[in-house]
Amino acid sequence: MTERRILLAASAALLAAPALPGRAQAQPATAPVAQAPGFYRYKVGGWTITVVNDGFNRAPVPTYLTNAPVDQLRAVMAESFMTGDTIMVPFNITFAQKDAAFVAFDAGNGVTAANATNGRMIANMAAAGIDPAAITHVIHSHFHGDHINGLLDAQGGRAFPNAEIIVPAAEWAWWTEASNESRSPERQRPAFTNTPRRFTPYQGRVRQLANGAEAIPGITAIAAYGHTPGMTIFRVADGAEQLLVLADVLNRPEIMMRRPGWHFIGDFDAEMAVTTRRRVLDMAATDRARVTGYHYVFPANGYVARHNVGGEQGYAFVPAEWSSAV
Amino acid sequence: MTVDRRNAFIGAGLLGSAAIASRLIRPAAAQSAPAAQAPGFYRFKTGAWTITMVHDGFSRRPVEGFVRNAPLADVQALLGASLLPTDNLTIPFTITFAQKDAVLAVFDAGNGVTPAAATNGKMIANMAAAGIDPARVTHVIQSHFHGDHINGLLNTANGAAFPNAEIIVPATEWAWWNDAGNETRSPEGQRAAFANTARRFAPYAGKIRQIAAGAEVVPGITAIAAYGHTPGHTLYRIADGAEQMIFLADLTNRPELMAVRPDWQIVFDFDGDAAAATRRRVLDMVATDRVRVTGYHFPFPANGYFARHNVGGAQGFMFVPADWSSAV
Repeated sequence: MTERRILLAASAALLAAPALPGRAQAQPATAPVAQAPGFYRYKVGGWTITVVNDGFNRAPVPTYLTNAPVDQLRAVMAESFMTGDTIMVPFNITFAQKDAAFVAFDAGNGVTAANATNGRMIANMAAAGIDPAAITHVIHSHFHGDHINGLLDAQGGRAFPNAEIIVPAAEWAWWTEASNESRSPERQRPAFTNTPRRFTPYQGRVRQLANGAEAIPGITAIAAYGHTPGMTIFRVADGAEQLLVLADVLNRPEIMMRRPGWHFIGDFDAEMAVTTRRRVLDMAATDRARVTGYHYVFPANGYVARHNVGGEQGYAFVPAEWSSAV
Repeated sequence: MTVDRRNAFIGAGLLGSAAIASRLIRPAAAQSAPAAQAPGFYRFKTGAWTITMVHDGFSRRPVEGFVRNAPLADVQALLGASLLPTDNLTIPFTITFAQKDAVLAVFDAGNGVTPAAATNGKMIANMAAAGIDPARVTHVIQSHFHGDHINGLLNTANGAAFPNAEIIVPATEWAWWNDAGNETRSPEGQRAAFANTARRFAPYAGKIRQIAAGAEVVPGITAIAAYGHTPGHTLYRIADGAEQMIFLADLTNRPELMAVRPDWQIVFDFDGDAAAATRRRVLDMVATDRVRVTGYHFPFPANGYFARHNVGGAQGFMFVPADWSSAV
């Protein structure tokens, strides 16, 4: 023990001489302020899942909900340390690769202005080593712009030049039938022009999918109507493992899982969206299934735990652990 | 208008389908997605400080024997409630860097050089990914002297991994582990720290500055005594103007366990009772102040907040990760 102490003192003395000039401190270069690349990988059975971040938008707090007072919203936000007059709404695209299949769930915001906070998917795909030309299937949950705009590249051509595009039949039917426009909420009507624009370069490559159908082996459609008329979620399975791609069943989980009965401004049919949200959250919580959501905080994957507030059944999102090992 | 639009779409579709008829759906041959994980770093701002969290991998141990004063079943139940595995415990390592003006400080030194197959020891590669050159680090500020916090002081050649840094150590921590007379008064599991301390700090002789509790280490960084986990375990407040954050070091191990049940004591605590009392005091402070915190063993990117969280009458706390943002 004493020897050890003396050893330390001795080695310190030996090293003190050459080390003395080192008292002068290094001049740090300004640390680069770039954020880390926004992708994250994990496995679901034989599937390699890659979550790719597409940046974010900010939604004003006062108009985020349509059936609850702003002070109630702010109180729930405060539980998750969300402050300010806007709510950050992130975008995260889930990729799934196994054998010959390389699937993108929705297409991101696509090409955006240089100073936009959204539209990071293309750069983050590159950082993750995902070549858009290698994507075999783009599987769509619904046709809101932040989910389909990325079908086009900067020239207006196919951003995924070799992919088959799989769409829920109910979603396709609604937005490609112009007579539905007057029966759609005013703020959703641009989807009628945006849908043909985004899918046009894929003519002959678009496959419609029925509720409950298998999109490709291991990936099954589950109807989750409400957020849009044909909103569809997907189960990605291999053996005993599964992942639920929840798309826009809910926006920020810190708000919409805790109060699933709240009406979100972006919902097409808010009442139907609530019914769907409660049903899907009950299933995910009961099954303790891993889930991923388009608007969750990156890396946007985790679990749903029951979290009752007062007498009302609510849920809490539990992020899965980030691991350096895929 | 709506009908025109519909017709336009169908028209475009017909034209388009003729044009590509010869190359109908031919799915691309999928390349194998690279299975590499994203680099483990994350940046955010605290005032003018740029904070960079750098991941150093993880270690895994049995759940059994981790908490010394609670039944295994209770520990497993709490892990299950957080959707964590109940048969083994992953302990992540994430190192906090803070840069402002001429200062580039690192809080603790990581696991350092580990065997190629080890799950820990990723800090060196992740620092490179984050563009942080160890030679540019001006201060290594130590919370305490457990191996996973000081082993990274040495490089592969057993020289100084941070060749130009001043090393700042809590005076109490330094005094304990440099007095061999304390060895018999230390828990058996911690006695290796006496030899390891001597070994890891040796190349920095003459560049080590001891600081007292409450002292300002460099402008904007202040020491906060948090004794218990080790005799001199120390936290640091990083402040600029109205903004602040606190590096909590090993105040808690995994917050899913030790913040929810702050009275639990883990196998690595030097003085379990003192550690629990300190944990309660500091968690109460950071929850009251709603201050952003980082922790050495929190899930990456290891920054967020603590909210009060009562479990069956017992006052505990819940870790709430801060939002990940693509904008620093």
